Amino acid sequence: MSQVIESDVCIIGGGISAAMVAERLAEHTEASITVVEAGGRTASLEERTATRARMLAYGENPYPNDHIPGQTGTGEMYQSMVLGGAAMHWGGAVPRYSPEDFRVRSLYGVGYDWPITFDDLEPYYQEAEERMGVAGEQGPPEYDPRSRPYPMPPLPLSWNLERMREWTDAAGIPFWTQPWARNTEPWQGRNVCQRCDTCAVCPTGAKYTPDFAFDRLLAAARIRLYDRTLIRSLNLASGSDRIETAAGFHQDAPDQPVEFRARTFVLAAGHSWSSHLLLLSANSRFPNGLANSTDNVGRYMTGHWFASGFIELPMRLYPGIFPNNSLLSHRFASPGPLDRYLRHDIRLWESTVGREARLAADDGRVLWGDEVMADWRARTRSTATARIRSYYDVIPTPESRLTLDPGMRNAHGDPMPRIDYVAGQATLDLEPHTHETLLGRFDELARAAGGRMMSTRASRLFEHPGGGCRMGDDPATSVVDRWGRTHDHENLFVVGAPTIVSSGCANGTLTFCALSLMAAEEIAKS
Amino acid sequence: MAESRRTFLKQSAATVAVVSLPSCAPAGAESPDALAPATLRAVGEAVLPEELGADGRERAVAAFELWSEGLEPVAEMPHPYLVPVTVYTGPDPRPGWAAQLSGLDIESGKRFGASFAEVGVPERRRILEPHVRRAGPDFGRPGNAAHIAVALAAHFFASPIATDLCYGRAIAKQQCRGLAGAGDEPAPLPGAAS
Repeated sequence: MSQVIESDVCIIGGGISAAMVAERLAEHTEASITVVEAGGRTASLEERTATRARMLAYGENPYPNDHIPGQTGTGEMYQSMVLGGAAMHWGGAVPRYSPEDFRVRSLYGVGYDWPITFDDLEPYYQEAEERMGVAGEQGPPEYDPRSRPYPMPPLPLSWNLERMREWTDAAGIPFWTQPWARNTEPWQGRNVCQRCDTCAVCPTGAKYTPDFAFDRLLAAARIRLYDRTLIRSLNLASGSDRIETAAGFHQDAPDQPVEFRARTFVLAAGHSWSSHLLLLSANSRFPNGLANSTDNVGRYMTGHWFASGFIELPMRLYPGIFPNNSLLSHRFASPGPLDRYLRHDIRLWESTVGREARLAADDGRVLWGDEVMADWRARTRSTATARIRSYYDVIPTPESRLTLDPGMRNAHGDPMPRIDYVAGQATLDLEPHTHETLLGRFDELARAAGGRMMSTRASRLFEHPGGGCRMGDDPATSVVDRWGRTHDHENLFVVGAPTIVSSGCANGTLTFCALSLMAAEEIAKS
Repeated sequence: MAESRRTFLKQSAATVAVVSLPSCAPAGAESPDALAPATLRAVGEAVLPEELGADGRERAVAAFELWSEGLEPVAEMPHPYLVPVTVYTGPDPRPGWAAQLSGLDIESGKRFGASFAEVGVPERRRILEPHVRRAGPDFGRPGNAAHIAVALAAHFFASPIATDLCYGRAIAKQQCRGLAGAGDEPAPLPGAAS
């Protein structure tokens, strides 16, 4: 017999989008809220000092056991499945998308317009920044529009980045500080950044991770959390398209079913597991999966590609002062009219590449003791390395899909997700022009400092991925409406990464959060 | 009062040890094969910078020994970005390293008629050279080092103190040093050429 747990709202997934929805609903409604997370808890804040030390010393995962053996798919997806999700590991970069991201079809004749504009989302961007605690520098308003200041002053530019900004100023390209979900002032009881250089695991709590929000909500008894509980299906009410239950089991009792009943279900399981659960929940009424009457679930999986490189600069820098801050420019994300489509960001970091201690000289001679140090000093005395990277917009295509993989099943026999990212012809046709332009801009920047490109690389990894349940006004071409409500099921919402229409050319997490908050406002009405 | 270069080295070496050390040895880990202390120190004299002085080299070797004791074989590593696999560190390198130290003594005896620790640094480097040459030119992670000499050197040269000595500045990477001063040029180390 199933254990039955009832609430007004059942949120499936325990990552950053779930945290945003839970927090907003808890503050703005009296609804009872259940959060169901497949993974368990990982290193607490108190434990992160120790796990950080082992990461530094031995290269170990600072979040041990943050995944479920056998519960994994194929393709570009995160391995981590844990309370807090991928945002436990993240660095905290939180740029906004540009206004142009939402209107690329109208402005440039490529890709797809979103059903919402930047202005529609702007208040939720601000709210997400305040919930996380974002430290940022206002860039030029034409490239960095915002209605209110960042919640906190920016992280300071290191001496290295100050020198690099002098260089980029001379090159005539405006750069400013990347906004970060890291505190420069005490925020919601969390510490100020201590410049530990290990943002993947922040030992001070200055970096936002979703577990902080869940712990606050638990302490206030505003949510019930069921972690280590894997949902295997969403089920319809008899004779209705409404979702009645989410069924699964606790990892410690796989033979004992658990059933969650709620008036509203919120699927907040990230870019791969949200579509996966909908497809896994196929039934006689929806044989292709829930919310999938128009065969759009799992399609338009997207992300952005990048070009990167290392630049030798004729200046002395001191790598290690603050390697986890960087310079950002959105100058080319808002390019104005274009003959050929290309929108991208540029970011710059200090780097040690080509300037680390080494065992052998260029001629192959083995170096010993003082010779290693002398060789190292010679290569760092008057030159330095900068890392440069540009994310650029990849135009989504319906052939880029997440499907169920019958050849790969978990311990319970469920087929696991398989993501086959595909770049559409439009993107492939633009690729040579894109690379030529980007590498030209890198080279131009390098020469502006009297430097040179050391190396370049182009990546086709779909970074900061999303899609699979894209939003739209037309049910024929989308899965959810602008609020994240599925077209097929009035009480089922999908939030965050799966709902994006395109990935733009900026890290996606802040946009995922803003979309989740926008959805939460609509959910609160129900 | 300006600290002396020796004091700086002493403090920094201590910091290396603190940063490098685990909070506790992993439960259930077996004791590694002991690394022969005298031979290990003789290796340190061959591969670590002479400018550290005897005290500095001793601290670097001691920090390596502590690090080695805390090493957990086949430990879970951070997940590669967007790759749904779990990756692990390698098997325990310590038995191999211990055997290498023993081998250095044997080879030294055969070539020079004395133990590795008893021969001069030039002789030690002649013995070590083929092993180091095979590993280079990059140090890599100490735990992945195929030879104890490379592991020892990699452990030191990856440390904050080594970076500071290279630049002659108190950069103090990975030291949780607060936001204040981030915009300043790091202070010169006492006695160091900038």
